[in-house]
Amino acid sequence: MAQFFPKWTNYIPTVTAIGGVLGLIAVIGFVWYYFSPEYTDVGYRPVQPVEYSHKVHAGDLGTDCRYCHTGVERQAHANVPPTRTCMNCHTMVKTDSEKLALVRNSYASGQPIEWIRVHNLPDFAYFDHSAHINAGVGCISCHGDVNRMEVVMLSEPLSMGWCLECHRNPDENLRPVAEVTNMRWENPADHARRVAGWIEEKQIQPPIACSGCHR
Amino acid sequence: MELKDKEYWRSLEQLAGTDEFRHYLEREFPKGTVELAGNSWSRRSFLTTMGASLALAGLTSCRRPVEKIVPYVTRPEEIDPGVPNYYATTMPLGLSAYGVIVTTHEGRPTFIQGNPLHPSSKGAVSPIVQASLLDLYDPDRSRSVLHHGKETAWDDFVAWWKEQYDRYKQSGGEGLAVLSESFNSPTLSRLKRRFHETFPKAQWVAWEPVSDENIYKGIELATGRVLQPVYDFSRAQVILALDCDFLGTESEAIANTVGFTEARRVRSRSDAMNRLYVVEPSMTVTGMMADHRVAVDRGRVGSLLLALARVVTARGVPIEFARGVNRPNTELASDFVQVLSGDLGMHRGECLVVAGRAQPPAVHAMACAMNAALGNVGRAVTYHDIASLVLSSDTDLAALAANVEKNAVQTLIIAGGNPVFSAPRDMSLSTLLEAVNDTVHLSSHVDETSLSCSWHLPRAHYLESWGDAQSWNGANSVVQPVITPLMEGRGDVELYALLAGGEEVSAHDAVRETAQPLLGRAGFESKWRAGLHDGIMPGSGPAAVVPGLSMGELDLADADGLILSFDCSKHFDGRFANNGWLQELPDPVTKLAWGNAALISPKLAEEYDLENEDMVELDIDGRTLEIPAWISPGQADSSISVALGYGRAAAGRVGNGVGFNAYKLRTSDNMWFATGVKLRKLGPKYSLACTQDHGSMEGRPIVRENTLAGYKEKAEFYPREIEHPPPVSLWDEHKYDKGYQWGMAIDLNACTGCNACVVACQAENNIPIVGKEQVCNGREMHWMRIDRYYAGDIHDPRVLVQPMNCQHCEMAPCEQVCPVAATSHDPEGLNVMVYNRCIGTRYCSNNCPYKVRRFNFFNYMNELPELIKMAQNPEVTVRFRGVMEKCTYCIQRISLAKIKAKNEGRTVTDGEIRTACQAACPAQAIVFGNIGDANSRVSQLRQNDRRYRVLEELNTRPRTIYLAKLRNPNPALVKDTDAKAEGGHG
Repeated sequence: MAQFFPKWTNYIPTVTAIGGVLGLIAVIGFVWYYFSPEYTDVGYRPVQPVEYSHKVHAGDLGTDCRYCHTGVERQAHANVPPTRTCMNCHTMVKTDSEKLALVRNSYASGQPIEWIRVHNLPDFAYFDHSAHINAGVGCISCHGDVNRMEVVMLSEPLSMGWCLECHRNPDENLRPVAEVTNMRWENPADHARRVAGWIEEKQIQPPIACSGCHR
Repeated sequence: MELKDKEYWRSLEQLAGTDEFRHYLEREFPKGTVELAGNSWSRRSFLTTMGASLALAGLTSCRRPVEKIVPYVTRPEEIDPGVPNYYATTMPLGLSAYGVIVTTHEGRPTFIQGNPLHPSSKGAVSPIVQASLLDLYDPDRSRSVLHHGKETAWDDFVAWWKEQYDRYKQSGGEGLAVLSESFNSPTLSRLKRRFHETFPKAQWVAWEPVSDENIYKGIELATGRVLQPVYDFSRAQVILALDCDFLGTESEAIANTVGFTEARRVRSRSDAMNRLYVVEPSMTVTGMMADHRVAVDRGRVGSLLLALARVVTARGVPIEFARGVNRPNTELASDFVQVLSGDLGMHRGECLVVAGRAQPPAVHAMACAMNAALGNVGRAVTYHDIASLVLSSDTDLAALAANVEKNAVQTLIIAGGNPVFSAPRDMSLSTLLEAVNDTVHLSSHVDETSLSCSWHLPRAHYLESWGDAQSWNGANSVVQPVITPLMEGRGDVELYALLAGGEEVSAHDAVRETAQPLLGRAGFESKWRAGLHDGIMPGSGPAAVVPGLSMGELDLADADGLILSFDCSKHFDGRFANNGWLQELPDPVTKLAWGNAALISPKLAEEYDLENEDMVELDIDGRTLEIPAWISPGQADSSISVALGYGRAAAGRVGNGVGFNAYKLRTSDNMWFATGVKLRKLGPKYSLACTQDHGSMEGRPIVRENTLAGYKEKAEFYPREIEHPPPVSLWDEHKYDKGYQWGMAIDLNACTGCNACVVACQAENNIPIVGKEQVCNGREMHWMRIDRYYAGDIHDPRVLVQPMNCQHCEMAPCEQVCPVAATSHDPEGLNVMVYNRCIGTRYCSNNCPYKVRRFNFFNYMNELPELIKMAQNPEVTVRFRGVMEKCTYCIQRISLAKIKAKNEGRTVTDGEIRTACQAACPAQAIVFGNIGDANSRVSQLRQNDRRYRVLEELNTRPRTIYLAKLRNPNPALVKDTDAKAEGGHG
């Protein structure tokens, strides 16, 4: 009796099974990486209405973060500075720069500058800058090397998993409170010992329960 | 009273065990959940749409939403973005002034709490004060000046008025009349005086539909002087309330509640407690608190008081009028009167007789005389001169109406109020207004009166305007704006100044001008600023006077037959009808939201063959009103009660057509009650939104109580605890031994059931308003509710109330059934709800024995007008459709306090965190704190021998504990009531 199917068809079930498993793994892997904030968000660098350079101000000129982000030590929001803060210097420095036209217009007209938010947490997550600064978490831990950025870029995923990594084990990201804005800080050799001291002294117990951030 | 494990019932249906009640129970989790309001979706179209939106949702999530940060150009010095500011201001309401502290976020007022320094609020609020915040953001408020219905500008009005001003100045104001609200404001009084100087012949009438006029008239009758009575309930051991809901709807209910609960607080078994006797036609908040209550219709309260006065006189406390007047009704509650007279006689100098605003002047005169005879004047009640008050007057209104009828008024300025809606119907004001050449109406909404006037002027909210107000005992405070007017509105001061002076004046300057002589020239600026900061100005009001008694002729007619009484509602006189928070607030007694009803007693219902929701017709001399009936235990059998302020036609989107307008039956000669009312049953039923039977607790020991005497004997409470074997847990138990451990204690002996906490919770936690239809479906969203239970005889019930919010069980049943761990425990003992994890199975709500979880069946928040979104608290997540929510113990307040403490290198101190409900409560019934700290107030209350946990036998281990309720009945009356209760109820 003639064979209906050639012999190679015997492999179809095996190939399908293996292919299916591999395919599933591939799909999971694809979603795992490409749907995560690690891929979708990190590197987000929108063009801002004003060509403001953190590299020039915070890096080359060495302006302290808190000159503009005034609320960072005391309140939840670090605050994007009002136009007035820019004009503190720019009424004297680079008064006719093309790049500053929008800032001058804003100051004259009272129309605020609409910056594009880079570090954006979901509305149901309540982040408090002051709590982190007073615990000794440096700006750089979440915001990256802002002092080297011409245009601010999202350098960390700011996902819940990422937050929790540090909340579960904050040691590496802690430093003396006086050094939080220091962009060139490196943990000294006796870091571990000093961290233990701070944790004891300030009772640093980052919340890992839902209520820590969700209200 | 020997309390037994009597049947504690919750509503008539439950008592009856009818099919309808079972239907209610089943309705808690109704079947058809895919029913969008006014839209019938077929299953197919629903699936199609959902399929499409799912596909689109997948796509949109790839694209990052662009969000803007818009900083200030120049940041105002006092604003730190994200950090709330607090301002003291004053809410004037009629003759009352409530000092409040307003929370503002970036300039938006978001929460109101009482000012502890202010004598009328003492740090607490009432539902109306709290809810007045929402009125600020009411999108239905009028946005411009209207002239004959056409939009125009303030300048046009000012120009028009200047012409009139010049003309009337020539004639001395002949033909000019002002109809204002009553007020107690130094600036407004000053401007009114100036108005009279400019226009000596002009008429100024103040009138309010709900006023204390009878009280002032009664005191005048007794003493010959118009005086303000100021009560201090904390100094009264025995209180007789005559048709006086002094804890609920009467003036100064907040201060009354603070004082009353102070004298009622029982900290240990050795404490004493005041005793409250209540005589009233329908059950009120005060009636629910009563130790002894007699249901007497409004027309017979006077004769009961007279009978009482005779007995008191006979017992050796001579009361002057008692001999003079005719016909005391000795039949009425004679045991009650005998015992009460003895109790009053024994507590001379430390008792108090108060009568409600609905009682005629004669009753107030008698109450005044009784207080004088019993030696209470200068103690629990003081009298103050009120020269600066502008009182509401029914007779003045009638005179004005008569003048209009005679064509003697060419220009009528209605400064606030809504008389077309609320004036006595025999005046037919809307027809009269047509006869006046020019009518001007200042009002927040284009309401019923605005529609009949030629000019409409938008009125600013009190949070938008400058002004001042004096509290009932004379404390001065300033109304300071916390936001610039959102609409085109202007305040009363601006209008009065314009009327009196013919030119525009800044209200700020006018108020400062009034304050100048008060504060003195030297150091004015610093005193003014201190006064603004504290919310109370230095200097005190008129000193207390001790009036001599010179009783006038008492006119006291005993009423017969069926009596209709008008009650002040949660919307006051109807002015808050467009406030969704108040509309959705269940009535403290009937638990009716979104509407009113004709309250009748069970006996009357039987007599007329009426059931709940049956439409009836009330007929008084040919004026009729069709309204649904509602059976309310505790109602006097000869009395029907209807709340005023419903049935508005031009209130706005929320208030229009809600309920039935009882003003239609109100005439000048029966302002508060009408005799000879004819009741007729009509055919159909009308659906009322009642929250009463939702989440029934099936008669288990939920609210527990005892008498004070019984408690002193033994700390035992009824109904008794359910006997159960020692609870064993199926799970590994958490230790909860480290750090903060949050807990709450609610003292049922203090709680009056006033609802202030419910509104405060709604304001603080961005809780949506769902509307009548959804409330009927059992889908109200309040995180906190007040359960009301009846006990004893159906015709003379005791009422128990219990605030019920999430109990934060340590062994929470909700957590055990959530398939996605959206509700879980945190190490501080909070049962937390993670909205973004919730997939809406509602298993948790099913498994919650306390029925405190609320489900977002629709996207209520998204449909809100933008303006109302400004009222929302930015510290609380706004919930989406399909998400469960419930009380969080105000976790945002906990988090903020913890962060603040940590930043300052300390721990949170006791009392630093106050939940919204706690902050609002005038009875201080709610205490929140750290139970891990043995010295905290809440820990100490947890040691109290009145403490119990609700449904303890389920081993849920709630973090909220309750302190059992106590009553202090007079032993002499106990046997009688008890026997009756046993007889009536077996």
